[in-house]
Amino acid sequence: MLSIAMIGYAGFAALCLAMEKHFNELLKRKATANQSRGLRVVGWGLLMLSLVLAVQHRGWALGLVEWLAVLMAGVTLWVFLLPYRPRLLLALAAVSVVLGPVLAVLAN
Amino acid sequence: MKEGFRQAMAWLHTWTGLIFGWLLFAIFLTGTMSYFKEEITHWSQPEVRSHPLDAAASLGLAQQYLQANAGNAGSWFIRLPNEREAALNVGWREEGSVGRRGFVSRKLDAQSGQAVVARDSRGGDFFYRFHFQLEMPHPWGRWLSTFCAFIMLLGLVTGIITHKKIFKEFFTFRPGKGQRSWLDGHNAIGVLVLPFHLMISYSSLVLFMYMVMPAGIMASYDNSREYFNEVFGQREAPRAAGIPTSLVALPELYAKVRDQVPGARLGWIEVQNPGDLNSRVIMTRASADSVAFKRSDNWTFDGASGEQLSRGKPESTAMLVSFTFAGLHMGNFADSWLRWLYFVFGLAGTAVIGTGLVMWLGKRQLKHAKSDSMPTELRLVEVLNIASMSGLLLGVAAFFWANRLVPVTMEGRADWEVNSFLLVWALSLPHAMLRPGRRAWAEQLALGALAFALLPLLNALTTDHGLVRAIAANDWAMAGFDLTALAVGLFLAWAASRMMRAPKLADKRVSRAVKAPPETLGEPEAN
Repeated sequence: MLSIAMIGYAGFAALCLAMEKHFNELLKRKATANQSRGLRVVGWGLLMLSLVLAVQHRGWALGLVEWLAVLMAGVTLWVFLLPYRPRLLLALAAVSVVLGPVLAVLAN
Repeated sequence: MKEGFRQAMAWLHTWTGLIFGWLLFAIFLTGTMSYFKEEITHWSQPEVRSHPLDAAASLGLAQQYLQANAGNAGSWFIRLPNEREAALNVGWREEGSVGRRGFVSRKLDAQSGQAVVARDSRGGDFFYRFHFQLEMPHPWGRWLSTFCAFIMLLGLVTGIITHKKIFKEFFTFRPGKGQRSWLDGHNAIGVLVLPFHLMISYSSLVLFMYMVMPAGIMASYDNSREYFNEVFGQREAPRAAGIPTSLVALPELYAKVRDQVPGARLGWIEVQNPGDLNSRVIMTRASADSVAFKRSDNWTFDGASGEQLSRGKPESTAMLVSFTFAGLHMGNFADSWLRWLYFVFGLAGTAVIGTGLVMWLGKRQLKHAKSDSMPTELRLVEVLNIASMSGLLLGVAAFFWANRLVPVTMEGRADWEVNSFLLVWALSLPHAMLRPGRRAWAEQLALGALAFALLPLLNALTTDHGLVRAIAANDWAMAGFDLTALAVGLFLAWAASRMMRAPKLADKRVSRAVKAPPETLGEPEAN
C-alpha cells in the first residue's frame, strides 16, 4: 500500500505543479504551456496508475477504500505542509515517483 | 439569479452550521474516538490482560467456562478476543428470562479462561454510545444525532456550492493571515477529505434509515422486529427437547467453518439450548473480515451432532449497498494503519466544524474590534464556542482521570466516570462566561494540555501498565493510548500558547484585515 500511497502523492504533486500559480511559486520560474500540460497528464496518469494498482492488489472493495484513504492523506499532507516545507515536499514527491513504482513491482 | 442562489446557500451553510455546529463538534469528536473504542476500553480496564491470539483455544476455554458456570442457561453468547480486544467475552441468558433482565456477561482471561474482575467502566463504549445517543433517553438522542448528520450533509453540499473556487484553490493554504487562513484551512480540510465527510454523514443516515424513513417497513410488517428478523435471518430458538445431550466441541465447528472459508474470523457465537438434544450453534463471521457490515454471514450447526444445518444466505444488492455504507462508517474492517487514517480524517471533520464556528465569530468580531464590549449575541456564541470545544476536551480528560482515580470497589463507579465527563464539561460553561474570551480559551486549553499530557504518568502510577511496561509487553493498544494522550496534550499546549501570546498579534491581524480590500472579506463563503 505504501507504493500506492507514494504514486498517488506524486500524482497530486504533479497536478499541483501543473497550476501556473503553484509552479511559479514552488520552482521559482515560469511554466511553459507544454510543461503545464505535461504535468497535468503525468499527474492524472499517476492517479490512475495508483487506482489500478490498488484494485489489482486489494480487490474492488478494499482497494477503492484504501486508495481513497491514502490519496486523501497524501494530498492533505501536501497542502498543509506546503507553506512551511516546500522543498521537503518536492523532494518527497521526486522520491515517490521513482520509489513508488519500484516498490509496486517488487510487491508483485 | 445564480448569485442569489449561491448567497442563499451561503446563508443556509452559515446558520445551520452555527446552530448545530456545537453539537456536531461533540458528535464528531466522540465518533472519531470510537474508531479506537476497543483500545480505549482496554485502557479503561487494565485488569484484562492481552495475550497472543488463538481463536480455537479461546473458543474451547469459553465453552469450558460456560459449561461449568451456565450449564442450565437458555442460551450462550461468546465473542472471541481479537487484535484490538484482549478479553474473551462470554454471556448467557438465565433459563426462561426475557429481554435484558437475566442476561449475565463476563470477561475471561484469554489464556487461563478464568473470569477477570475488571473495574466497572464503560470505556470506549461510552464515547461510542454518546456519539449517536448523546446520553439522552431513547429514542431522542438517536433522532437528534441523525438530524445533525443530515445537517452535516447539508452543510457539505451548501459548502461546496458556496465555495466558488473549489478547483482553483484546491491546493491553497495561506497561513498567518488571520481570517483568510481560517477560511483556507476550513475549505482545504473540507475539500481534500470530502469523500470521507460525505461518506460519514450520508452513511449515518443509512444506518438509521429504518428510523428516519420507516414508511416502507410499516407498510409491510406489523412491527420492526419482524422486519429485522427477516433481513438478518434470525430464527427463533428451537424448543428444548428436555433430553440432556452433551454439546459438540465448539473448536471443531470452527474448524469446519475454516475448511469452507480459509482464514475466516468469527465475531459472535451463539449457542441455543446448550446441553439439550435440540441445541443450535450459530457462528457469525467477524465484521473485520469484509468492508460491508454483513450481519447475516453465518453458519448454523446442530449442537448435538455437529452437523451443519444452514449457511447465511448471501445479501441482496440493496442490502449489500446498505451494509457497505454501515461498514464504511464503522470501519471495523480497517487494519491498524487504515484505522489511524480513519482517526485522522475524523479529526479533520471535527476541525472543519471547529474552524467554521471560529470563523463565524471572528468575522463578526471584526466589526466590533475598536469598541471594548461585544454585543450580547456575539458574546453568547463565543462562550458556547469555548465550552463546546475546549470544554468538551476537558470533559473527555475528566472521564479518563476518573477512570484511574475513582476507587475500583466504589458502588456505581462507571456512572461516576460519566458524571465527571458531564460535570467538567458543564463547568467549562460558567468558566467561559466569567473570563474574557481569549483568556478563557487559553486557560481551558492549558488545563486540557496538562490533563492529557499527564495521563500516561497517572496510568504508570496507578496501574502496572505504564508506557514503558506496555511497550515492553508489546501491548500497543495500551501504549498507543498513552502516546496519543501525550500528543493531544502537546497539541493543546501549542494551541494554548498561541492564545496566550495572541492579543498583540491579533490586534495587528484585525487592523490589517479591516484595511484589506473588501473582496477578500466580502466573499459569501466567509459569512
